[in-house]
Amino acid sequence: MAYQFDWELVVSGQYGDWIVDGLITTLQISGISIGLALVLGTLACIMRLSKLKPLEWIAWTYIEFFRNTPLLVQIFFWYFGSYTVLPDSVNAWLNTVNQEFACGVIALTFYTGAFIAEDLRSGIFAIPKTQLEASRACGLSFMQAMGYVILPQAFRIIIPPLISQFLNLIKNSSLVMTIGVADLTYMARQIEAHTFHGLEAFTVATLIYLSISLVVSFSIQQYNMRVLRAAR
Amino acid sequence: MKRLATALTAILVLAFLVSPAFAGKIEDIKKRGTLVAGVKDSQPPFGYVDEKTNQIVGFEIDIMKFLADKLGVKLDVKAVTSSTRIPMLTQGEVDIVAATMTHKKDREGQIDFSITYFMTGQRLLVKKGGPIKSVKDLASKKIGSVKGSTSEQNAKKAEPTATIVSFETYPEAFLALKQGKVEAVTTDEAILVGLKYSDEKPEAWDIVGDYISPEPYGFGLIENDSKFRDFVNVSLMEMWESGEYKKVYDKWFGKDTKNYIPLTWTMELWP
Repeated sequence: MAYQFDWELVVSGQYGDWIVDGLITTLQISGISIGLALVLGTLACIMRLSKLKPLEWIAWTYIEFFRNTPLLVQIFFWYFGSYTVLPDSVNAWLNTVNQEFACGVIALTFYTGAFIAEDLRSGIFAIPKTQLEASRACGLSFMQAMGYVILPQAFRIIIPPLISQFLNLIKNSSLVMTIGVADLTYMARQIEAHTFHGLEAFTVATLIYLSISLVVSFSIQQYNMRVLRAAR
Repeated sequence: MKRLATALTAILVLAFLVSPAFAGKIEDIKKRGTLVAGVKDSQPPFGYVDEKTNQIVGFEIDIMKFLADKLGVKLDVKAVTSSTRIPMLTQGEVDIVAATMTHKKDREGQIDFSITYFMTGQRLLVKKGGPIKSVKDLASKKIGSVKGSTSEQNAKKAEPTATIVSFETYPEAFLALKQGKVEAVTTDEAILVGLKYSDEKPEAWDIVGDYISPEPYGFGLIENDSKFRDFVNVSLMEMWESGEYKKVYDKWFGKDTKNYIPLTWTMELWP
């Protein structure tokens, strides 16, 4: 008895709407998390390279902890575990807002931020140390030297690994369905539950993930080639 | 390119060759000497692993035992999950699926269903003495449910302003309820009863509200094998008429059990 395919079911009507809703949620949570992860990763990287020992330790602990524990565990930690440490009043407030989405963003941001920090650090190490020394000798502060001289060059070098981190984040975002964020994977599961046509639902979801990833990859490559090469 | 096409054709041809010739399920089962049933292994009291014997036992397993006895074969149970039960059935790894499956029209495309062997309805599990008494009290509040169940859409229909948050498993949904992340957990009453009594303090929780939707459970059967489907349906009716069904029901859901649910529905009996 072979599987009966029914593509019509998944791409139109109520179930088609679910796919679209899921796609929008996936794009939202990925977009917000990528922006925040970039900021957090940069911050953690600078802290790790700074001469202030406590800052370096905090950054080191953060990076090693979040890079070396499973994302799924982290998602559960932010969603269920944080409840036990936060004060009751904060919990009561959290329960009234869209906590699932927020916890998903926090988990993805912290996880990807740790990887971005490491990528950025390797990019900074690729820039001759003399540049920092020269900048400091010219009278720039550490932060100024970083902001004007080192980081712009480092970001250019790490564009390929950065793309990988973005793509990883988009794919990892499917894990937030475990805490009830209705993303694309969640919707595919939901369609499967309702119709038992899981193969079609997951094929469509797979193709959508593939398209998003290819588009992101392609646009950043283009940006890299046109804008950054020209600036050199 | 040509080589690739040849390879693909070869794979397709092979795939057709290995798919078994279609004989009736009943002949297959009798020849094999076992009825292979796909059942849940973590859904007390429908199907779960007994701590003492390490065997899968439960209400659904007892009904499967009845069917196997009637066919004169041994019963072999295989644990399935919500996502594996349909592929396993269509690929012939199990003969029948008995896994708290609601019979829905939209689900008819892929498999056939038996007549209803268990009737329940969707209700709400809430904190005892709280403000929630029915689904209408959940306006613009959050309700917890479980993915893969049909409860989500029903709750949404009953109270459109509510937000449904679906988790992977029932214990997670229950934890969210305990932490106040959701105001209620909704699914079939029979499952809620099991969930309530899995807690250390069952008396702290209450099952409230009218039935949001009826949830008739049917066994999953392979498409277009009416001989086997008739056998299952007629056996179920015989079980009901002889009182055997009541005996099995009382064993798992009767007054003396902690999962007490009064038997209030009647099986569809063909004249």
